[in-house]
Amino acid sequence: MNKKRRKRLVILVFLLPSICGFIFFQVFPIVYSFILSLTDWDVLSKADFVGFENYKKIFESEEFWRVLINTLYYIVLYIPLMIIASLSLSMLLNIRTRFTGVFRTIFYIPVLSSWVAAAMLWRWLLSPYYGPINSILGMVGLQGPSWLYDKVWAMPGIVLASVWKDMGFFGLIFLAGLQGINPSYYEVASIDGAKRWQKFRYITLPLISPTMFFVLIMAIINSFQLFPQVMVMTKGGPHGSTQVMMERIYNYAFTYYKMGYATALSWVLFCFILVVTLVQWKMQRRWVHYES
Amino acid sequence: MNLNKYSRRTVYYLVMLAFSFFILLPFFWMVSTSLKEVKALTVLPIQWFPEKISFDGFVKIFDVFPFGRAIFNSIFISVLITFVTVMSACMAAYVFSKIKFRGREVLFGIYIATMMIPANITMIPNYLTLKHLSLLNSYVGIMLPSLFNAFGTFMIRQYMRTIPDDFVEAAVLDGASHFRIFFKMILPLSKPAVATLTVITFMGAWNDYLWPLIVLTDKNKMTLPVGLSLLNGQHQSDYNMLMAGALISMIPILLIYTFAQRYFEQGLSVGGIKG
Amino acid sequence: MKRFLVVLVVASMVLTTSLLGVTTIKFMNFSSADANAKYLEEMKEIFEEQNPDIKVEIETVGFGDYFTKLMTVVAGGNAPDAFELNYENFYTYAKKDVLLDLNSLLTSSGFDTSVLNERALYAFSDNGVQYGLPFSFSNVVLIYNKDLFDRAGAEHPREDWTWADELEAAKKIRALDAMTFGIYQPVQFWEFYKMVQQNGGSILNEDKTAFTLNSPQNIETLQYMVDRIIESNVMPNDAQMAGMGDWDLFEVERIGMIVTGTWAFSTFKDSCDFNWDIAVEPGNTSKATHFFANGLAISKDSKKVDAAFKWISFLSGDIDVAKIRIEAGWELPPVTYPEIIELYKQTTPPESKEVVFKSLDFLVTPPVIEQFNEMADIVNRHLEAARYGEKTPEQALNDAQAELERSIKLN
Repeated sequence: MNKKRRKRLVILVFLLPSICGFIFFQVFPIVYSFILSLTDWDVLSKADFVGFENYKKIFESEEFWRVLINTLYYIVLYIPLMIIASLSLSMLLNIRTRFTGVFRTIFYIPVLSSWVAAAMLWRWLLSPYYGPINSILGMVGLQGPSWLYDKVWAMPGIVLASVWKDMGFFGLIFLAGLQGINPSYYEVASIDGAKRWQKFRYITLPLISPTMFFVLIMAIINSFQLFPQVMVMTKGGPHGSTQVMMERIYNYAFTYYKMGYATALSWVLFCFILVVTLVQWKMQRRWVHYES
Repeated sequence: MNLNKYSRRTVYYLVMLAFSFFILLPFFWMVSTSLKEVKALTVLPIQWFPEKISFDGFVKIFDVFPFGRAIFNSIFISVLITFVTVMSACMAAYVFSKIKFRGREVLFGIYIATMMIPANITMIPNYLTLKHLSLLNSYVGIMLPSLFNAFGTFMIRQYMRTIPDDFVEAAVLDGASHFRIFFKMILPLSKPAVATLTVITFMGAWNDYLWPLIVLTDKNKMTLPVGLSLLNGQHQSDYNMLMAGALISMIPILLIYTFAQRYFEQGLSVGGIKG
Repeated sequence: MKRFLVVLVVASMVLTTSLLGVTTIKFMNFSSADANAKYLEEMKEIFEEQNPDIKVEIETVGFGDYFTKLMTVVAGGNAPDAFELNYENFYTYAKKDVLLDLNSLLTSSGFDTSVLNERALYAFSDNGVQYGLPFSFSNVVLIYNKDLFDRAGAEHPREDWTWADELEAAKKIRALDAMTFGIYQPVQFWEFYKMVQQNGGSILNEDKTAFTLNSPQNIETLQYMVDRIIESNVMPNDAQMAGMGDWDLFEVERIGMIVTGTWAFSTFKDSCDFNWDIAVEPGNTSKATHFFANGLAISKDSKKVDAAFKWISFLSGDIDVAKIRIEAGWELPPVTYPEIIELYKQTTPPESKEVVFKSLDFLVTPPVIEQFNEMADIVNRHLEAARYGEKTPEQALNDAQAELERSIKLN
C-alpha cells in the first residue's frame, strides 16, 4: 500500500468512532431540529409547517431581548471573575507541597456537588438578613443588597455561586496546561535575573495561552447556556431578571408544549454563540502561541 | 520582597486554608444536614452541628428506590461512557493535531460548532434514533452518543499541539506507523490532558440526568441521579434524604479524582522532550 | 437423566403457556415518588392477585421531570399503556388527542361510577367524553397554630370568618415579636386565581374567551394580598423568609396561619410539637377553595386497552386501595364509600377533619386552557413585581392583562 493510501486509511480509522457518533447523534438531530423550528409542533400531536414564523416572533418579542440582556449580564460578570479565580487557583495548586494532593481534592469538591446542594447553601449565604455575606459587608460598613430578591443583584448572586462551583473545574484544566511548561524555562529566566511577575508575563502567560484560549471558549459557550443554577436558585425571578435563554428554551419545550418555538430559540442562541466564538477564533492568531 | 522562605510558605498555607474553608463550607453543611432528623432541618439560627444525629436520611432512601442497584448502574454506565469518549476523542485529536489533510481545519471547526448547540436540541431526535435501532432502555443505547465528543477532542487536540511536530516527523522518518506513534509516544506524553478529560467525562456521565431519565425505563437500570430525583415529592422534599443522597453520589467521583491526581504530574519529563 | 429431561420439558411447556396468557401493561406515575412508593406496590400486589393474567410494570418519575419524560415517550411513539396526569396538564393532553376515549369501556366493563366522587370524575372529562379516571384529590385549607392564637389573644377561625377577621387575628399574632408572622399565603398565580373568586372576580370570563385579569375586584384582591406583606407585614416578604419554606416556618411556630394543601397533614403530624387545627378558608364576598386532582388515563395507541382499563379502574374505585391511601396519609381517594369517609375523619390530627369535605362545597378548579402553563408563568412574573412593591397592583395587572392578550390564544 502506498504512503498516501496508508495515510488515508489511518485518518479514517482514527476518526471513525468520532465521525459515526457525529453523523448519527449530531447531524441527524441538527437537521431534524432545524426542520422542527419551522413548525409549530406541540410534541403531542401533528406538526404544522409555519415557515419562519417562529423566528419572526422571537425577534419581535420583548421577552427575547430582555432574556438576551440577562444572559449577557451574566457573561460579562462571570468570565473575568472566573478566569482570574481559576488561573490563580491553578497557580497556587501548582506549587508542590506536602498537602498539594489534599488541596487539589478540596478545590474540586464544589464541582462534584449537585446544584441542589449548592443552591441551598448559596441561598443561605446570600440571605439578606441572616446570611454571612451581608454580615461581613456590614462589618466593613457596607449595606449588602437583597441579592437574590433584588432585580439588579440577583444575577451577581448567581455569578458568585457559579464561580465558586466552576473554579475547580477550570482550575484543573489550567493546571494541566501549567504542568506542560518545561521548568527549565523558569530556571534560565532566574539565571538571567528575571523577577516573579516578569516570569509570569513573559513565560507563563504565553505558554498557557492555548489552554487559556480553550478555557475562554468553553466558559463563554457554557455561559450562554446557563441553566441549572437559575432553575434551582431563582427560577427566573425576581420579576424575570434572571430568566436566561436556556431557561426559556426549556420552558417553551417542556412546559408550554411549544417545541417548534423552543427549537427556533435554540437556533438563535446557537447563532449568537457561533458569532462570538468565530470572533475569538479569528483573534487567536494575535495572542495564542503554539510551540511548534 | 524581603520575606524569607519560611514566611512565604506560611502566607501560602494561610491563603490556602482560607480558600479551603470557603470551599468546604457547603460540603460540611451537606454532611450536617444529612445527619439530622427531619424536625431539626428547619431550625433557626442555623444548626451547624446536628443536635441529635440520625441516619434516617440515609436509610429512608432505600424505601424510595433501589439505591445499591442504582449505584452499580451509575458506575457501570459512567465507566463505559468515559472509556468510549476518551478513546474516541484522543484518536480524533491525534488526527486533528498531527496528521495534515485537506479540509482538516474545516472539519475541526464544525466539531467546535456543535459545542455551541444547546443540549436539548439533540435529546428528542436521539431518542427517536435509539428507538429505531431498538436500543432504548439499554446500556449500549445510552453510551452511543458519547462516541462523539467535541469538548474532549478540542481539549486533547489543544494539548497535543503543544507537542512539537518534529517528534512525529522524526518518528515517521524512522519508519514508525501512526499507530505506534499514537500509542507509544503521543498518548503517554498527553497524560495530564487525558487524565483531566477522564475525570471530567466520568463526572459528566455520573451526574448526567436528563438523558438516562428518558432512555432508561427499567427500574433496575436506573442511575443514581435519576433515583435521587425521586426523592423530590410533588409537594415537598425531605432535605436530609436529599443531602444524604447527594453526598453518597459524590464519593465515587472523589475517589476517581484522587486516584487520577498522580497522572496530572507526568509532565514532559519523560525522555528529554521540550526545549 | 431422562426423567429429569421430561420433567423439564413439561415444566417449560406449562410455564410458556401460562406466560402466554399473561398481559403486561406499562404504567407511569409521579405521585408515588418519595415515601409513597411502597403503597403503590401494595396496591399492585392486590390487583395482580385479583387479576392473575395481568402484570403491571410500574415506572415512577419525579414530578419535576415527569412531563418532560412523558412528552418524550409520547413523541417517540413509546407511550406507556396507562399513565398519571395532574388536572392542569390533563386538559392539554386530552385536547391534543393523546388520550383514549373511555366512554365505551365504561359501559362495556360495567364499572360502577357512583363509587367515585362526582366532581372528581367530571374533572377528567371534556365535552361529555370521559378521558380519565380520578386517582386522588386534595384541597387547600387554612391551617392554624392554636397555641400561637391563644398566646396572642386572637379569636380562633370561625365558619363565618371573612378577610377582615383573618387580618385582625394575623395582626395580633404579628405583634407577638419581630420574628413571628400572622399568616402565609403566597402572592402567586395559584393563590391569586382562587382569591379573586373570594372577592367576586375571576381571571377569565364565563366561557373562557377573554381574560378579565385587571377588573376592579381583582385589583382590590391583589391590593389586599400585597398589603399583607408590604403594609401590615403580617406576612413575611421573600427576604424575611430567608430561604426557608412556608411549612418550615409554620413547624417552628413562626407563622400563625398557613393556607396550604391537605397533603401537609402527615408532615405536620410528625413535625409539629404544638396544637394545630384546620378551618375553611375565609373569603370576602364569598368563599372559594382549591381543588386539585390527579387522574389516570390510557394512551390512545395502547394495544392492551382492556387490561389497562382494569388497572386504572381498580386504582380509582377499589375500596382496599382507598383504605391504603387513608392509612398512608397519601392524599384523598376519590371515592364515596361511607366507611372510607368515616375512616378518614377518624385519623387525627387535625381534629376538624370535616373541614376538608366542607371546603369541597366552595371548590374552584384551576382555570385550565390549552396554554395553561404559559399563562401561569406570565401572571406569576407580574404578580412578583407587585409583591416586591415595584409596581402597584393596578399597574401589574394591567401589564399582565396586556401580555396575556398578546401571547395566549383563547378559542
